Amino acid sequence: MKEPASENKPKIGVFSLTGCAGDQLMILNLEDTLIELLSKFEIKSFQEASSYSENIRLDIAFVEGSVSTEHDLEKLKEIRDKSSLLVAIGDCAVNGCVQAMRNSQTSIAERMLDVYGVEDNIYRALEPKGIGEYVRVDFEIPGCPVEKEEVFNTLISLLNGDPPLIPDYPVCVECKLNGYPCVIIEEGKPCLGPIITAGCDARCPSLGLDCVGCRGPIKGETNAKAELEALRKRGYPDKYIINRLRFFAGNFPDIRILGERKNSKGEK
Amino acid sequence: MYKKLLKDDLENFIFILKKFGVVHAPVREAGRVYEFTELTDSKILQLNYTRTMIPPKKFFLKPKEQLYILNRREGFKEIVDDSKIVLLGVHACDINALNLLDRIYIDQFPDRYYKTRRENTIIIGVSCKPDEYCFCTSTNSSYALEGFDLFMHEIDDSYIIRIGSLKGFQIVCESENLLAEASSNDIKEFKRAEAERLKEFTLHLNVNGIQDILDASYDHPVWQENADICFGCGSCNLVCPTCRCYDTADFLNLDLKTGVRVRRWDSCMLKQHGLVAGGLNFRPTRVERLYNRFNCKMSLSEDSLNCVGCGRCTVYCPADINFVEVLKQVGED
Repeated sequence: MKEPASENKPKIGVFSLTGCAGDQLMILNLEDTLIELLSKFEIKSFQEASSYSENIRLDIAFVEGSVSTEHDLEKLKEIRDKSSLLVAIGDCAVNGCVQAMRNSQTSIAERMLDVYGVEDNIYRALEPKGIGEYVRVDFEIPGCPVEKEEVFNTLISLLNGDPPLIPDYPVCVECKLNGYPCVIIEEGKPCLGPIITAGCDARCPSLGLDCVGCRGPIKGETNAKAELEALRKRGYPDKYIINRLRFFAGNFPDIRILGERKNSKGEK
Repeated sequence: MYKKLLKDDLENFIFILKKFGVVHAPVREAGRVYEFTELTDSKILQLNYTRTMIPPKKFFLKPKEQLYILNRREGFKEIVDDSKIVLLGVHACDINALNLLDRIYIDQFPDRYYKTRRENTIIIGVSCKPDEYCFCTSTNSSYALEGFDLFMHEIDDSYIIRIGSLKGFQIVCESENLLAEASSNDIKEFKRAEAERLKEFTLHLNVNGIQDILDASYDHPVWQENADICFGCGSCNLVCPTCRCYDTADFLNLDLKTGVRVRRWDSCMLKQHGLVAGGLNFRPTRVERLYNRFNCKMSLSEDSLNCVGCGRCTVYCPADINFVEVLKQVGED
């Protein structure tokens, strides 16, 4: 089949804010289909793949990483301005991920002092947040990191003019569809599956492990109080449960208030 | 015509069943739940099981499956699985649930996938003992009158076998050497065992007029109380033998010209179940979805309830919401 002329291919860019670059890596991990897949697009920026970069208007921008500094924020706004569609890839971009686990518990000044020994915010750090806190986001692909199949299907959907299909139901659904025994009910493990976005095909429960929540809670759906209650009943202390919930989801409204420090300028 | 099979001959009987299809039966590996899987060795068979987590409907309406191969130029091609299966050890509640699904997937909205698999599957029921979650006597589904090929009732050292279809009769003919006519004494034992079993039920639910009671109890505080502890995770629907909602999606290949249509079980407890074109959700909150589920289960499909009293939704709820308890609260206060 003849490839469309390059001017007809959607122009895309893949960008990184604060994160481990693992989501970019997952795109590159689409090894079997990568060349053919990416040949359907014109790649104008993709730091992890190439030093080549062109600063022009994009059809789709993919952004990984959280906004954790003023610099991130400036970069994000610039990307938004020059892109027709903005897709958040990975938990960091969706919700702040692990960087946000101590949000509302310690101040930036305290963190600076702990890590760098000075209170001054020399790196212009912000409390880590997902990109949707600052700019309009068209689609979000959760995951820490994203599932490469989900990236593949998202690219194909967008190419075909469809909105990508991202699960908005919890991991429990995938356990049941696969017939995996419930590790909460059968083994009393502290599984976060009931509140965490599916899409991993219940990878951890398939191995008898409890879900740690790496794909983040389902927006607008998560019943964090119920999770706290269900794990309390199975003998887990509040501190353990709250830390576990905050690990990937510190910015989530229902979870943020758990373990929140009343006076954020108080003692260390 | 009632037959009798000695338990000692069960292994030989299974050997004969294998001629009719791949035998699947309740099995439990260490640390796992009971599940219907291929019976590779009759020693792992557990006919005295309580319940499987996933009901046998999974053989007919698959949890997830590919329906068509799509091709823009050549149209679509159905993927129909016509393998022959024997399900050994299906409980009466689950058989009654399949009868209910038959009305929908064969009579009302014929579904080729479901129908083909139903026709290619032999169902052999087995009698069971209730545990504290079973309430099938309340939902009139504790005994199977139809919907099976053979039904085995355990008595002492043997099974009394009822024949439910022509295929069942063929199996009986093939197993001539293993089966005896049930004697009048065997029938007496069968009656006694059935009466004993009924006495063992400890959980009962009064379903008289429950449809009206629920309809009039939309404002009952029990809904919000349970919605507060409910995850909305859909487990109750996904383990339910009578839930039959599904969702479909198309996945395209790289060429954007070919692809596959898949479907998977859906759940009315999930947010997107009520989402329709234009972005409207007709059941936006968890409390509405919870109320709807209880109503659906207690509503009538022709003359039978949409619940067969198997207890799965209570046993497999990670939030420990007790189905019967909720209904009792609504009915009593």
